[in-house]
Parts: sequence; C-alpha cells; structure tokens
Amino acid sequence: MSVMLTKFESKSNRVKGLAFHPTQPLLAAALHNGSVQLWNYRMGVLVDRFEEHEGPVRGVAIHPSRPLLATGGDDYKIKVWDIRPQNRRCLFTLHGHLDYVRTVQFHHEMPWIISASDDQTIRIWNSTSRQCIAVLTGHSHYVMSAQFHPKEDLVVSASMDQTVRVWDISGLRKTSPQTGGPGGGPGNGPPGATNFETFDSFSMVKHVLEGHDRGVNYAVFHPTLPLIISAADDRVIKVWRMSETKAWEVDSCRGHFNNVSSALFHPKQELIVSCGEDKTVRVWDLGKRTAIQTFRREHDRFWVLAAHPNLNLFAAGHDSGLIVFKLERERPAFSVHQDTLYYVRDKYVRAYDFANGSDLGLLSVRKFGSPYVPPRTLSFNPAERAVLLTINSDNGIYELTTVPQSSQGDVKDSSVDGKRGNGQSGIFVARNRFAILNKASQLIEVRDLANSVVKTIKPPVQTNEIFYGGTACLILSSTTSVVLYDIQQQKTIAEINSPPVKYVVWSADGGLVALMSKHTITVANKNFAQHSLIHETIRIKSGAWDDSGVFIYSTLNHVKYCLPQGDNGVICTLDNPVYLTRVKGKTIYCLDRSARPRTITFDPTEYRFKLALLRNNHEEMLYIIRTSNLLGQSIIAYLQQKGFPEIALNFVQDVNTRFELAIECGNLDVAFENAKTISRPECWERLAQQALKQGNHKIVEKAYQQTKNFDKLSFLYLAVGSTDKLLKMQKIADARGDPMSRFHNALYAGDVQTRISVLRDVGLHPLAYLTAKTNGLDDLAAEILEAAGLTESDIDDVPNYGVTSLKPPPVVTRTTDLIWPAVQRAESFFDRALVNGVLEGGTEPAYVNGDAAAAGAHNALDAWAREEELHDEIDPAEEGWELDADADEFETPVGEEAAEEDEELGAGAAPGPSETELWVRNSPLAVDHVAAGSFETAMQLLNKQFGVVNFVPLKPLFLSIYRSSHVYLTPLASLPPIALHIRRNPSESSPSRVLPVAARSLQSIRAELLEGYKAVSGNKLADAQTTFKSVLQALLLVALTSDDEAKQWREHVTAARNYLLGVTIELEKRRIAEQEPDNTKRILELAAYFTQCELQPPHLQIALRSAMIVFAKANNHAHSARFAKRLIELKPDPKIVAQARQRIAAGDRNPRNSVDIDYDEFTPFEICAITYTPIYRGSPVVHCPYTNAAYQPQFNGKLDPLSDLTEIGASAAGLPAAW
Amino acid sequence: MESSELYHVKQQFILGAHKPLSQLPLPAEGSPDYVPTLLYKARSLIALNDPKTALEILPEDTENVALKAVSSLARYVVENDSAAKEAALEELRDLSVEIEGDDAEGSPREKALVRVLAGTAFARAGEVEEALETLGTETEDLEAVAVIVQIYLSINRSDLAKKQFERSKRWAEDDLLLQLIESNIGLVTGKDSFSNSQSFYTEQLANPSMSSPHLLTARGVTRLLRNEIQEAKSDLEEALEQQKGDAEALAAYVVAGGLGALKKDETEENWSRLASEHPTHPLVIDVNSKAQEFDQLLEKFPVPPSALVSV
Repeated sequence: MSVMLTKFESKSNRVKGLAFHPTQPLLAAALHNGSVQLWNYRMGVLVDRFEEHEGPVRGVAIHPSRPLLATGGDDYKIKVWDIRPQNRRCLFTLHGHLDYVRTVQFHHEMPWIISASDDQTIRIWNSTSRQCIAVLTGHSHYVMSAQFHPKEDLVVSASMDQTVRVWDISGLRKTSPQTGGPGGGPGNGPPGATNFETFDSFSMVKHVLEGHDRGVNYAVFHPTLPLIISAADDRVIKVWRMSETKAWEVDSCRGHFNNVSSALFHPKQELIVSCGEDKTVRVWDLGKRTAIQTFRREHDRFWVLAAHPNLNLFAAGHDSGLIVFKLERERPAFSVHQDTLYYVRDKYVRAYDFANGSDLGLLSVRKFGSPYVPPRTLSFNPAERAVLLTINSDNGIYELTTVPQSSQGDVKDSSVDGKRGNGQSGIFVARNRFAILNKASQLIEVRDLANSVVKTIKPPVQTNEIFYGGTACLILSSTTSVVLYDIQQQKTIAEINSPPVKYVVWSADGGLVALMSKHTITVANKNFAQHSLIHETIRIKSGAWDDSGVFIYSTLNHVKYCLPQGDNGVICTLDNPVYLTRVKGKTIYCLDRSARPRTITFDPTEYRFKLALLRNNHEEMLYIIRTSNLLGQSIIAYLQQKGFPEIALNFVQDVNTRFELAIECGNLDVAFENAKTISRPECWERLAQQALKQGNHKIVEKAYQQTKNFDKLSFLYLAVGSTDKLLKMQKIADARGDPMSRFHNALYAGDVQTRISVLRDVGLHPLAYLTAKTNGLDDLAAEILEAAGLTESDIDDVPNYGVTSLKPPPVVTRTTDLIWPAVQRAESFFDRALVNGVLEGGTEPAYVNGDAAAAGAHNALDAWAREEELHDEIDPAEEGWELDADADEFETPVGEEAAEEDEELGAGAAPGPSETELWVRNSPLAVDHVAAGSFETAMQLLNKQFGVVNFVPLKPLFLSIYRSSHVYLTPLASLPPIALHIRRNPSESSPSRVLPVAARSLQSIRAELLEGYKAVSGNKLADAQTTFKSVLQALLLVALTSDDEAKQWREHVTAARNYLLGVTIELEKRRIAEQEPDNTKRILELAAYFTQCELQPPHLQIALRSAMIVFAKANNHAHSARFAKRLIELKPDPKIVAQARQRIAAGDRNPRNSVDIDYDEFTPFEICAITYTPIYRGSPVVHCPYTNAAYQPQFNGKLDPLSDLTEIGASAAGLPAAW
Repeated sequence: MESSELYHVKQQFILGAHKPLSQLPLPAEGSPDYVPTLLYKARSLIALNDPKTALEILPEDTENVALKAVSSLARYVVENDSAAKEAALEELRDLSVEIEGDDAEGSPREKALVRVLAGTAFARAGEVEEALETLGTETEDLEAVAVIVQIYLSINRSDLAKKQFERSKRWAEDDLLLQLIESNIGLVTGKDSFSNSQSFYTEQLANPSMSSPHLLTARGVTRLLRNEIQEAKSDLEEALEQQKGDAEALAAYVVAGGLGALKKDETEENWSRLASEHPTHPLVIDVNSKAQEFDQLLEKFPVPPSALVSV
C-alpha cells in the first residue's frame, strides 16, 4: 500500500455522517451542530447547506438515482430533501422514532428508507406514501446502524446490545407492494406500541451474530460476497460469513486501541477500511485479516467512514471536519509507441491499438511489488519489445521484461524472466540502456539489458524523478526546477525553474516537450532554450501532443489546448478525470480512471484556427472560416486582441462591429459602406478622422457632407484647391443665411465683393468700407460710406492702409481629383478569396494530424527503433507535395464554377465533386493523378518527386492508365451513359479514402523485369534494354500501398537501373569491338565494368565468364584470374569451375597485365552511365533523381540518357508515403 | 393492370433487352396493348441508336401525346444539326406544357411518359436543370425517378440520388425498376463493395425468361468495379459474343484488358477498333482529348539536352 492520497479536506464541526453522490463529485456530511453540508470535493467548494434539524445530525444518505437526500437527527426526525439547486428544500419529514436517529439509508430499487434509532427499533419507511411500513424490533439497546443488503431482501443492524442482527424483509416486498403496512401509517404521528406486533409479522430476525464484547457501532454487508463486517467498542472488527441457514464469525481484525467507529469493505479490492476513536484510519487485508496500513491524525477522533459506490474514493469524518482520500494512484502507467498504447490495467500490461481498437493483455505483472499497488510508470522499448515498470511499493522497485509479440494462450508472467532492482523512477534512455533513479542515495544508474550497471551518475540537483530527455539525455525533476542533463558528457545542458515536474510528454517529432506539474505546464523546445508557462488553478492530470504542435491536456474537469506560444482554451468539460494518451484528428484517446481505453471526439476548429493564424496559414484559415461556424464574439475579440482586425472583418455580419473593425484596420471602403448603413453622426466623424489620416479627402468630404459639417467642408475644399466646390459652399451658405459661413467661404474663395456684402449685411460698415478701400474698390467704398450716412471727411482720422495684397493662396497642385497616395494596402488573402467567392474552392488543407504523421516520429525514442527499419532512400516528403498539390487546386479558376452554381441553384442540384477530384485529393502518388485524368498535377508530382522532365515516353502509359480507370454504362435507355470510376479499394466508399484502381501492379512489373532478365540470359540485349527502360517507366506509375511495397519498389528500380546500365555497357562494348577492334583497352574496361553492375548471380556469371575470356585473350592474366576467382565464388557448373581454375593457374604463373586499364576493383566505385567510366568513391558525382544512377558532374542538368526521363542532378522529394 | 405480355415487354425494356424488343411484332391495332407496346418498341429502337426505324413505325398523325413525344425524341436523336435538334426539343417543351393543362388528352401514364421522354432529351442536351424541372423531383412515376437519379449521379450528387431513391422506396414497392435504380446508385457510390449492383445483375441474368447481353455487360462492368478483372473479362467476352461490336461492352473490354486481363497488344488492338468503329463513345472522346491535353502540357516541362549529345 502506498500512501493514503488525500484529495480533499474540510474544517467544520464534528462530522457524524457521510454520503457520496453516485455520479457527481458531491459529498454530504452530517454535522454534530445540526447542519448538513453538501461539498463538491473536486472543486473544493461548499455547494449547499441544509439546516432544519435541531441538534446533531448523525444519519445521512443520497438516493442512488434521484436527487434526494435523507437525514436523521437527534430531534427524532428523518428529513428528505431535494438537492437540486433550483428547488432545494425539505420535501417531507418522517416522524415516528422516539429517540435519536443514528443512520438512514435509501433502498437501491424500492422507494424505501431504513433508519436505526436509539429507541431500539429499526424502521422502514415508504418515501412515496411517506409512511412507516415496518418496525423491526428485537435489539435490546440503541440500534447504532441499519443497512439494506445491496441485492437481497436483507437488513443488517448493529446495536449497543453487543449483537449484530440480520433481518429477512422479503415479506415486506410481498405484502406491501404499494403502500404502508397494515393498520395505516404512523407517519403522521407517533405510533402506538400496539402496532409493533402487526409490523413484526412480515419481518423476522434471520441471524443474531454474537461475539463482540461491547456495543457494536456499525455493520454492513459485502457488496458481492455473503460476508458481513462489524465494528465495535471492543476495539475489534469482526468478519462474519452467512449462509441461508446460519451465520458465523470468520475472524477478527485487532489493532485499533480504542472504539472502532466504522468499518467498510473496499468495493473493488479485497480490503477492509476502518476508523476509530483512536484517531486512525486503518486498511486491512480481507483475506489475511492483517493490517496493511495505518493513517494517523493528531487530535481528531474518527466517527464515520463512507465509500464511493463506483470509484476508488473514501471519506472519513472526524472531530473537526472530514477528509476525502484515495487508497491508490489511479493514473495508469502507460506509454505510447506509434499506433499502440502500452498500459497497465489490473496488473496486466496490455496493448491497445489506436487504429483498430484491439486491446490485448500481453504480460502479467501480478507478482511485481505489492498486490494492492499498481505499477507507477511504464517505459516501452520498441527495439527490444521490452517494458520497464516501476512501482512504489517495497520502497520503490523496477522490473525489466520483454513483451511477447502476441498473447497466444496463457499470458506470460513477468516474474519468469523479469529483471528487478531497487529504484524509484526508471526509463529507457537508448535501445539497450535504461536509467534508474535511487532517490535515497541520489544516484542514477544506467544499466544495460542484462541489468548490470554500466554507468553511475550523480545528479546535479536533488532529483525526485527522471524522464526521457531526448537522445542521450535525461530530464531530472527536482522540487524547484527541472534539469536537462546529458548522460554522455555528464553535464547539465539547461535548467528551468518549475514546481516539481510530475509528467513529461514529448511531441511527435521530438521538437517540443511539455513538462507538467500539479498546477503548471511548461512547454519547452528540445534543448530547453525557449519555454512558456501555463498556470492552471485546477490540478493538471495528463496531456498529449496534437501532431500540429498543439498540446492538449486534461485537468480534473476539462480538456484544454495550449498553443506553442502559450495561448490556451477549453475544448470540453469532463465528468471524471481521464488520462490522455494520444490525439489524432478529432479524436482524443485516453484512459479512464479504471484504466479502460476511451475516446473523446472533439472539435479542433478553434485551436486550429488560432494555430493557422499564428503561422499565417491563410489557406487553412479560409478553409476553416468557410466550413465551420466559428463565429461569435470570442473569436472576434481574439483576433482583435492579437492584432488581426482585418481577419475578424471576414467573420462579422453585424454592421456596427464591421465598422469598428474596418476603422481599426484602416479599410476605408468597408468602413464607408457600413457607415452608410449605420448612418449615425459619430460614425461619420470617426470615418472622417480616419480618412483624413490617410489623406483620402473624397471620403472625408462625403463624411462631412453627411454630418453637414459646413465649416470643415469649406476648409477641406480650400485645402485641396477645389474652387468650384467652394463656390457651391458659398451658395449653400447664402441659402442657409449664415453670415459667418458666408464670410469664410468668401474669404477662402477670394471673393471680395461677397465678403464686403456679407459685412454690409451684418452692419459692420467700417470693416466693409476698409475691405473695399484696401481692395481698390473705391466706388463701393464710397457707396458704403454713403449708406452709413458719412462722408470722406468724417473718417479723416482713419489712416490709409494702402492696397492689400491679401488673396487666396494659389493652387500649386490641384489635389481635387487626387487622393493622397498611400502605400497600396496589400490585398489580403481574404479579400481576394472573398471576391473570388471560392465557396467550394477551399480545399481541405492537409492536416498532418496523426493520420499522415506515421512518418514523423511519434516518440523521440523511436529514433533508434527506426534505424532497424531500413527505409532505403525512400524519403517520405509528404508535406512538400501535399501543400503543392493543394496550391494547384486552389488556383484553379473557381470563378466559372461559382457562376455555374448560381444558375443551377434553382434546381437544387449543383454538381458535387467528381470521383476523379476525390482521387486527386486523396493521393500523393502520380499514378493516381494520372488515373484521375489530372495529367498536369501528375507531371508536377513526377517532376518534384523524381525529377522527371521528359514526359514523351510516358504518354502511352498515361493514356492507358487513364483509359483503364474509367468505364461507362448505360443503365437507362437513351440517356447518356454514366461514367463509372474503378477503385482499387472497392470495399471503401468513404469519399476521403477512395483511390483509383491500380492499372499496373508491382507484381506485373516484376514479371516484366523477369522477362528482361530472361532476355539478358538469352543474349537478346537490345530487347532487354527496351524492357528495362519500360520497367523503369512503369515503376514511376505504380500504386504502392505499404512500406513493404515501397521497399520492393526501390529494389526493383535499383535492379532495373543496374541491368539497364549493364546491358548498355555490354552493347557499347560490342559496338566498339565491331567498329574499332583495336581499342582493346576500352573493350577490357567495359567488360570489367559489366561485372560490377550488381547483377544477379546467373547473369553475373555470364559477365564474369565473358570478362575472364576477354582479359585472358588480351594477356591480362592477373585480372582474368581475379574474375575467375569471383566466378568460382558463385559456385557455377563444374565445367565452368574447371575453366576458371585454369585461368587462375594462368594468373598465378603469369601475374601480370599487358594492357593497363582504368579499373580498380578494390576501391568501390560507381559507373558513369554516359561515359562508362568509373567514379571512385570520394570523387565528385551527380545522380539521377529517380534511379540514382551515377554521372560525372559535368552532366548536371542534362537529360538522363539511361531512362530518358529525368534531369540529372535535379533535386527530388522521393516517393511519398501514401499509405 | 397490364397484361402479362405487356409486363414482359416492360421488363425487357427496363433490363436493356432492346434488340428483341425492336423486332417484336406489334399486337392488333385495336388492342389496348397496341399503343404501349408500340411505345416500348420505338423507344427500344431509339436506344439502339436507330431512330429512323422508330420514326417509320410511329404514326405521324396521332393525337396521343406519348406517341408524339417519342417521335420528337426520335427526331432529336436522328437530327444532326443543332437547329433541328432545338426544334425537336421545342416540341417536347410544348408537349410538357400541354399536358399540364386540365383538359389535356391522355392517361396519367402517358403524361408521365411525356415528361420522362422530355427529361431524357433535355439530359442528352445537357440541360440538367430543365430536365429536373420537367421531371419534377416530387414525381411518383418510377421511370421519372430513374431518370432523375441518373441525372443526379451524372453530376456527382449521389446524396440527392439516394434521397430520391429513399423517397420512392415508400411507394414503389420492390419494383424491378426500383432495384435497377438502387443498383445504379450503388455503381456510382460503391456502397458495400458494389454488392447491390452485383446481386441485382446476377439475379437478373439468372432470370430464365429473358436474356440480354446488356445485363452481361452491366455485370462485367460491376465486376470491373469490384476489381474482379478475370470474371469481368469472361462476362464481357460473352456479351460481345452475343452482340458483336457493342460499343459499351467493347469499351469495358478495353478497360478490363488494360487492367491486366489481356496482353498489351490485344488491348491496344481492341482500343483501336473501338476508336475507329465508335468514335463518339464517351471513352474514346475523353481519352482523345486527354491525349491532346498531354501534348499541350509537354510544353510546360522544358526538356534539357540529352547528356549523350554533349559527350
């Protein structure tokens, strides 16, 4: 037994009764001060309080299926409450007991309540009719507890009379199906003693259990077995067994040194839990009746104990409150490798396949550590198929065992070949090494698979736990920090301050790691150089990485996500905690608290959108906007807050919000449109301000016009030099009769006459006069003077001002029709998309979430497992092609399509995506694009994947593949035939998985290859050459479905290339032999190179024999002997062997070469397929991107003459993994 | 109720046994079966792409709307130039309007047939919307449903096709035509590995009262879709034996050959035969256009000089 894990504690008055809610995290506590509390123990909050009892409340019970609470108190009353928050109240009160009520309990199916009382009776009440239906009498002292049997019609009671009694109440069910017992209800008043006999007639004492020496406090049935447990003041817990006819004492548990208040059977394990006034809670083994563990408290006597009906959860009430505790960790030990989850349930190591849901027991670990304690951690080693488990019992031990491939028949027990040792924490750190932490000695031992120590490390900090830290590294968790530690160099690489890290989860590609503590998650990159911290108020339970780099984690009651930069949000709420193991697409895989695999489907849209925003992935954002209903204030607020108002703009329909956003991102056009709709002055003002800032005076003008802001308008016209508009303003001012405005406009327009007339109109004659005078309008001045009734002489004292030079500034640049040039606002991706109306066009971006990520490492540990898998040079560069393929589709002119749709919407039948489109979408293989008729993308794929540039030779293949993938049928007379598309997976009808038929199978190409071999053997070299070329072409367009096939495919390509090269060399040799027979050197060289083409033994024999003979003829005996030796190694015919031996002998006699040739068989070389000269290792070389044939570097960029398809030296992504 | 002869004629027509129907002697002119039989016979002739003969047997001066519609369809098929075709379509449009009237002549069955024939012609002309409107997606005429379903299938809306099918299942009982509709949907969607179509055609082939190479072709195609290439090949060979030069069977045979049922040169031979004998078969047209497209695409990929030249 590990520790008692306290989950919740509360302080209150003495707790005398406790009851768990069966489904919600609620606990009812009856207090000695008369209050009944309802706690949410998960959130740690007091949900409700029921205070109607007078005096202490001792009994409390929650209905197994309905929201009902029953309480019984020292006020003799039993009260039944509705606990729903909206209508919480006391429903009714049951009167009848004549003394304290000790316990109450609901029946599991009948509407019955049982109560035990100090009045020496047990009563059963019908909660529907609210009447007492039975009174069980017989005890001769206080009845301390009474409990229904969980299934049968039995009751067990404990009493101060030192007995435990079992009652048969089956008569009650028979005689009173609906209402109370005979004689009607004593429910409305205290019953008369006379009624007792009547009641007794249908309930009888079945067994009286005598054995306790003092009063018995509590007795209860075992949930499944015919056992009873009782707790008494004689400090003993007794276990009783009963049969139909009798009951007897089985054994006693001694250890409490004061009254035992309560004792319970563990609902799932063979354990007894008890508590007593000696201030202890004790755990006992039911089988051996031995104490396993004791939990002590300083001052508080324990009074009551309750077990959760379904979960591993207990509650104990004491003098000053209550505690909720677990007896064991529920977090199952698990580890994920690729598509498999390895985990421990009920002390069995099991493997759960995420893909097909199979769940197999692989290994029993029953004998590992204490039988009551589940293993704490599991580390899986895929290379050796080994598991390393740790357990907390026995001071911490570990065990290393190999896991059988499959569990046929009996499951292996780990004790057979398990290797054990002491240690608190253990993980694999390499394929054949694991590290074990010994906390006490603070040493980390690195051990090999034979369990012997190969290295001992003294950690630099006080380490509580170790985790995998990437290749050759460990993560050490101390109380205040977490350290990344290099095992090889024995030094600290980085250290991050953090509360104690409890779990560590690596992302699929090993680039990011989440370090989880109780309330924080630190997301760091692999060398801890960058990290961000998330704080949660609620306990964090587990987490897993989405393959797009989003961390999904669970708390006690939520599943949440966390983006790399630290933003987080809620995905869904949880009723019960789960332990996340894997996130794939829209599915969360997890283990529940009983370690059963479960899945949760969720909607990743929100965080994907945020992630796309973060990564500027506009295609994906657009797709999400188009396909989901991701509207709502939260996302808009998020976008605004993150500085993307222009994207938010695309979400919003509401004009006001749109206006705000448009102003914010300076999109005047949108703002103007919306301002028109809203048409409120403040909107126009804000628009004018923003437009003024941008220098867009046209919009400013419109805004001013809307708000009738004449002054500003006039000034604007002056500023932009729009004289005609100014005149108009003048007229308006006239019409309005606003002298100030008139004056302004006249001033702006330089219209002296008007100015004077305004001044005159408002009676400012002096000013009018002066204005006229200074502008040289003497006649007018005289007129004014006259009008004012003055003469020249009257104003002698006015000085002469001379003629004014004041006039409106000349317009330098007429900006009336110009708008201030602004930097062209880059047309956002969304604008374009919205204009194009790509409704259907938003192709689903390739989420590499789980599905495609087979290539990406699932666990950094895999790195060394994968070394085993010999992937040849197949580089699954999916992402490259997928994005490109999408981009292509994206660019297709969607305009037309949309137009068509509009026309046809009337008939409600817009065309759907055709099967061929689906094929193109579903496959990265060129052949599938060819079959779909998308030749262009197919060519692009071939070009990118294999560097193909010359497509002419492929035309017949393209056409025949396309032709073979479509068939027509006319099922109805005279209608055009339906085009049917042949799939290679006929059992698949899901549009996201259909793929075209494989016109050529790998087998059929292999057959062709064999034909080529035959032609070589038959010396039809020209035929063979054609065949191998055609094989190489066909291999470009073949549908592959598995890693195995891809491997075979690469072998075929290499074989065809080698043979093609060999055959070409041999043909060249023959040509030279014919045309320039004297060029012996070249002939010999070519013969020698032919033997180096990695042909298969039978063909190599031909090459070697021919070389041996040619060289012998040319008196190059040493070389000839070498060929002969190689020939003999191939174990040819005896006749040939004899011949070869002769050559060897000749070579021995005369170890010399008369012709010096360029051939060094002892240095590895490749043969240039153009010049047919060796390129020794280390010399510069370029390769064909498809066949990998070697060329001298000067041929870079030329068309490969061997296959006639590719550009030499072009970069190529290689074969995509489409399966 | 139909007479048993007529019922048999209808079965044959539905299952594509057009050849025997086209040679069927007509019952006496006064018999109630006369007009329906004549209709089926003429429609079979049109289906066999012999609309001229159909026009010959159809009376010109009839008042029967169905007969008029069949003649129009025949004319639509027989004509080559677009104006004449349009004229035939126009006739069908008029007829469809005419039968809407309350005082229109003809039984409900004949009116429905007019719609079916008009819808067929519109579908041939590519006027999908008009076809669907004429047929009426709420119709309770199974032939119309069959046409609607096929139109939906041709525009990749198997969801709508299924909806139509589910709708008609309620009232059409398990009519043979309904089974055919189900089979057609199955062919396109590939539901349950094409099992509906496979079992439908297998069952009908086992029907002793009728034999039709069309059924063999159809099962061959189904088997192709199920990737049962060898079985498909034998079906198609049998179909070709019964009906030499049948374009559909031949086209399917080419496909089977391309999927490995035949040697490469045999397939190519069949292909060139199909291409020369039936230049209007959609497969031929499609592949030819793809060949052109291929040649055009070549321009996008400049071929570098061969390395051999530079040696």
